[in-house]
Formats: sequence, structure tokens, C-alpha cells
Amino acid sequence: MTESRVFARVSDDPPDRAALEAFVTTDADGAVVVFEGVVRNHDHGASVRGLDYRAHPDAERFLAQTCAEVSADTGLRVAAWHRVGELAVGDVALVAVVAAPHRAEAFAACGRLVDRIKESTPIWKRQHLAEGTSEWLGL
Amino acid sequence: MAEVELRYFAAAAEAAGRDTERVETDAATVGALATLVAERYGPAMARIIEKGSLLSDGIVVRDTGRPLGARLDVLPPFTGG
Repeated sequence: MTESRVFARVSDDPPDRAALEAFVTTDADGAVVVFEGVVRNHDHGASVRGLDYRAHPDAERFLAQTCAEVSADTGLRVAAWHRVGELAVGDVALVAVVAAPHRAEAFAACGRLVDRIKESTPIWKRQHLAEGTSEWLGL
Repeated sequence: MAEVELRYFAAAAEAAGRDTERVETDAATVGALATLVAERYGPAMARIIEKGSLLSDGIVVRDTGRPLGARLDVLPPFTGG
């Protein structure tokens, strides 16, 4: 088996951004693009207090598959870490990192990676509103 | 009749009032069992099944005519990120 070009994790722990950057970056790379998905304090006009993320037990396998597909399509090293559990406003839920020799390919690959992660990783969020109610999103 | 484990996640667990159950069914396909689940738990579950997806024995269901396996997971639309 060849050296893995992808890193994927789903866990309760805060994403280790430095570890992901170190994983993807080689001496041949001139650009490292990092996306952080952060819990914001509003949604469709309502005030948000926090988000509760839940994952399917196989979520990490699906995340790894998505990273592998983007890596195969682009030839780049790819890493992603999705946090689950109760997150507060300002907490980082997702870090996705791609390194490339030049910035245009790194930006494009990271954008595609985040889109694909959102489409194909079995993770769900429940939104807690400041007024006290909560709701599953996406329905 | 086959015994199948059903697992419900997030909003689907809320609609079913449970995370998992074992059912005896004569449904032959994943689609047929999903239809029974939607009928049993009502409009909220029907909407989740319509908008979401299914995993049969850990494999993404792309054809609801797929023969039923030992386990079926009901997944609402993904909202990670």
C-alpha cells in the first residue's frame, strides 16, 4: 500500500488544525488553503445559541472516502476533521485543508472538498435558538 | 419473513421515538420497507425518507429496488459542515 494522501477524523475533540496542515504540506507546496466552518450566532433571522452535531457511526469512513475522491481527482494531499457534540457560537465544527504547488488549485480543491463533505458525510446538526427552542436542520 | 434491524438517526430518531428496532417483515426490497416505515410513523418520517437517504448493511442505497439486507439505516438529509 502506498503512503496515504488523506487524513480524516470525526470526533468530539476540537479539530487539530496544525496537525492537518502538517499532514498535507510538503516541500513542493507553495499554497495551503484552510477552511474552518464555525458556529455562527444567527440563522434565517433567528439568534442561535449553539449547535448539537450528531454523526452516524460510519461517518469517519464516509469522510475518508470523500477526501480520497478529492485527492484522486486533484492529485493533492487532503485532510479534514469534523467535530461532533454540543458546540457553542465561535466553536470550529469543521477544518478542511488542501496543499498544492500554486494557490489556484489549492483554493479550487478546498472549495470542492468542503462542498463534497457537506453533501456526503452522514452528520446532522440540531440548532438551539436563543429563544429556547431547538430544531433539526435540513428538513 | 425476514428479521431486519432498523436504525434511525437525528430527526429520524425523533420521528420514530426510538434509535433502533428489530422488525419481522415480508418486504423484499429496501424501498418497500422504507415505505412501511413512512406509513407507520407518519408525515414527519415520510418527509425525512423522501428528502434523506438509506444505508443498507452500510452501503448507500442508490436503487430502492435493492434486496433487503440485515440492517437498514434511515438518514435525514446531511447537514454537517
